Amino acid sequence: MQYLLSPYNYDLSDPESIPNLFFQHLWLVGLTMLISLIIAIPLGLLAARYKGLYTPLIAVADVLYTIPSIAMVAFLIAFTGLQLPTVLIPLILYTQLVLIRNIVAGINNIDPLLLEVGKGMGMNSFQLFLRVRLPLALPTIVAGIRIATVTTIGIASLASLVAQGGLGDLIFKNIANGQLDAVVAGAILLAALAVIVDLLLLGLQVALNRGRNAFAVS
Amino acid sequence: MAKIAFVEASKQYKGASSPAVNAVTFDVPEGAICMLLGTSGSGKTTLLRMANRLIEPTGGAIFIDGTNILEENPIQLRRRIGYVIQQVGLFPHMTIAENIRVTAEIAGGWERNALNQRVDELLELVGLSPTEYRKRYPRQLSGGQQQRVGLARALATDPTIMLMDEPFGALDAITRARMQDELLRIQRGVRKTVLFVSHDVDEAFKLGDQIAVLNEGRLIQTGSPIELLTRPANDFVRQLVGADNTLRQLQYQPVTAALDHDAALTMEDNGETPTCDVHASLLDAMLLLLQTRSPALTIVDGTTALGPVTLASINREITAARNNQTEQPASITNA
Repeated sequence: MQYLLSPYNYDLSDPESIPNLFFQHLWLVGLTMLISLIIAIPLGLLAARYKGLYTPLIAVADVLYTIPSIAMVAFLIAFTGLQLPTVLIPLILYTQLVLIRNIVAGINNIDPLLLEVGKGMGMNSFQLFLRVRLPLALPTIVAGIRIATVTTIGIASLASLVAQGGLGDLIFKNIANGQLDAVVAGAILLAALAVIVDLLLLGLQVALNRGRNAFAVS
Repeated sequence: MAKIAFVEASKQYKGASSPAVNAVTFDVPEGAICMLLGTSGSGKTTLLRMANRLIEPTGGAIFIDGTNILEENPIQLRRRIGYVIQQVGLFPHMTIAENIRVTAEIAGGWERNALNQRVDELLELVGLSPTEYRKRYPRQLSGGQQQRVGLARALATDPTIMLMDEPFGALDAITRARMQDELLRIQRGVRKTVLFVSHDVDEAFKLGDQIAVLNEGRLIQTGSPIELLTRPANDFVRQLVGADNTLRQLQYQPVTAALDHDAALTMEDNGETPTCDVHASLLDAMLLLLQTRSPALTIVDGTTALGPVTLASINREITAARNNQTEQPASITNA
């Protein structure tokens, strides 16, 4: 606990101080999620539209998800070295399964009656998407983003192994030199970050689920 | 000119042995409520959904205001037709106000302020307090209230045509009767041309200016409720409408049917004969006769006395109607 409470560890000029590592971690998670969504949204929309695409896409994402993260990082070191892509690529690949699956589930599990009603009042397919499909799918999509983000927060600690910093530094660097207090501090911060982000996204999810049962989506 | 005209309209599903709708031809005059009456599987819903092209006809044509809708853009077509269904289908993620606005918003051409005002107007029209319901969500409303909103939503763009697919079918008997009365009240003010699917004969008689009886995809008969009662095209219609049902005859036949024309000349009005309005039914007249113990009633249209009605003349009319059924009916279509 001492490590967390010591003001010495909050010196912003020190690149290894707690705030700097924390924001580095946050930045890595943010960047991962941004790129992940840029990839998953079009893929998800396509898989929702063209049913034949869904199974192969999910199969690929599933295989990638199965590979242990540490193995993939180690494997990529051979190609991208101790650089950002070495940790970014596995992180992005991991999020795809849950993101794509939830985007497709959200869009395709809409009560056909509501689509029929929208069509009956003269919505074109774009209006139907914007006013009916998307708002009804968003809570499920955000539920996917929630799971993916929390998972990413954990795995992003591997960035430390390829010299990319983050809260992983507190754990991995201090295990070697026996500073267990710092290791525990890293663990607490990682857990706290995950819980806070999870709650924030849950709040968003509930807000998007307005008019319906607040806890209807998992 | 007929507002809606079906001309040999047909729908043949692939692989089905017989068409769901088989060469149906009839007209709906402007401002009328036309009930599509039939058992389940009779093709009444299919016929209704062809009118806004949610189902594409495989044969024939459908005209609205003289234009063949099959040559029109289906999206534009649907935007000028109100559509109400049994399951209502309010959007759960929108408030009541948003649910009503959405029809007008997608049709376009409405200003924001005008739209807010329109929502309040419509809520008032369907009997829901705007201040209380505007911001609620559909799942906070009862089934009857939801259907009122469904009706308001369909009326939002002030369409001249309304398609209603058993809109009150899922409601309890009391709420259903109330909604039927509300619909008639609203219709007196807004005068829409309504196509209304129902399997309930009482509902058809209560609401319909015109009833189209369908069976196995074919149109059996069209006509006013009275025409169906007094001149059913065949046994199917007779059974369906209960033409042998004396009570129904009394309920729906106008009192003028039993007007005693011969007596009208000889009767002198001594000022003691009770009067009965010209729009009353035979049943009303009969009850009045029994209550007042008077031998006759004077039928009046405003201030003009049209003539007397007696229990004997009512009895004669009912007997005549029953005998009529054995004669060849006058208004058969496709029978």
